[in-house]
Amino acid sequence: MKRILIFVTSLLVAVSAMAESHAAKPTLMVVPSDAWCNENGYMQEFDNQGTVELIPDYKKALQSDQNLMLAISKINEMMADRGFPLKDLESNLKSISNRTAEMNMTTSKSGSTIAQSPMDMLKNTAKADIIIQLGWSVTSNGPKQTLTYILRGLDSYTDKQIAGASGSGAPSMSADVPVLLEEAVMDKMDEFAGRLDDYFNDLFSNGREGVFEIRVFDNGSGIDLESEYNGMELSEIIDDWMNQNTVEHRYSQSEASENYMLFEQVRMPLNDVNGKAVTAKSFADQLRKYLKNTFQIESKTANRGLGRAYLIIGEK
Amino acid sequence: MKKLVLILVAVSLSLACMAKTSDKKTKEWLYDIECAGVGAQGTYLVKVYSYSNVQSKAQKQAVKNAVHGVLFKGVMGKGRECNSQRPLVKSDVASQHEDFFKNFFAEGGEYAKYASATGAPETSKVGSQYKVGVVVSVQKDQLRRDLEEAGIIKGLSSGF
Repeated sequence: MKRILIFVTSLLVAVSAMAESHAAKPTLMVVPSDAWCNENGYMQEFDNQGTVELIPDYKKALQSDQNLMLAISKINEMMADRGFPLKDLESNLKSISNRTAEMNMTTSKSGSTIAQSPMDMLKNTAKADIIIQLGWSVTSNGPKQTLTYILRGLDSYTDKQIAGASGSGAPSMSADVPVLLEEAVMDKMDEFAGRLDDYFNDLFSNGREGVFEIRVFDNGSGIDLESEYNGMELSEIIDDWMNQNTVEHRYSQSEASENYMLFEQVRMPLNDVNGKAVTAKSFADQLRKYLKNTFQIESKTANRGLGRAYLIIGEK
Repeated sequence: MKKLVLILVAVSLSLACMAKTSDKKTKEWLYDIECAGVGAQGTYLVKVYSYSNVQSKAQKQAVKNAVHGVLFKGVMGKGRECNSQRPLVKSDVASQHEDFFKNFFAEGGEYAKYASATGAPETSKVGSQYKVGVVVSVQKDQLRRDLEEAGIIKGLSSGF
């Protein structure tokens, strides 16, 4: 009787674990495309270590262009209807701004401020796992106006375009830009969602695609990727681990040196053996634990969202 | 009197026969479908060309054909006026749920609540039958939601 009870209980636990195993849901956010921002004068200068670069000024664009708000809101509405609410760019920018202000104002009783690493500051930008870039332009031919519309879904980590919809609408003499834009969104959104669905299906069949960078701390420990353990170089050990732990051994090693390895198109399983959703960070943590337990090598992991992680060898 | 009865019988028989051929055409899903503009939010505005021996049957067939087209064939684009649309249901799903769709498209079936014909039909004669073009508004968002709830198709967020 006791055995039966234990069996039934373990069966129920296993079934509930299986039922609850869901893949980590990617976040999506609509932003105006760089080309659109540039064309409409919504760019800001950024000093990148002496080199002046132009980056999109989303805040200015949102505050100045009503059509942009209209298009983003329509896309958000249609995606929410499909059970996939998007991160809102405007709210995201506001919350970053509030968070930064709070961080700057928060001090302890002794006057200490909150610790922030350069990495923390770098990460404090509007981001999502999938960025939907939106752009449009209006061309006039006499009294007729034609709207050309582009929507691109980009995987933030692999930089691949995973969905898209574009085209020009019919020339119109009476409709104004907001109407033409709304029509374009409604006409092309299903095609875009269909392509996104194809991408998700591929994700479920072949695992999530990620990018992994392996680096070495320059701390004088003497460990690099050419250090040998049991007759194998560390780079070979890591490569073997990738081969054994990726879905159908799908990954490619793009670059390798004694201090750096880059793995791209790494297909990570969506869930681990316990049914927990796998992210690039947790996948890199599995490698970190393997190196620690098998070869006593210390390393540190860091991530950028669901699909990109770093493993830095040498210390925590 | 006898002649009149004979004529009446012959006419009703031929009408029944023609109606049967029309139903057969619907069952074989002989129709063409293309977009007819950008519909209101949540709808597709499509133009369906149905083939029928009886002109009056066309409007009813058009609604059924429009829903069928949105579900299984997809909608053909029309130049720059409107975009092509994918079918809501993949072919393997259609065969897995054959019974569901048989009831769905049966006479008085659920299909009728998702579409309505708008405007006057356009009729032309092609050989021995009529080609009737009807503009139909299909509530594709409601249709998709209901099929997702019934477990026939999966939603975009399922699995997450």
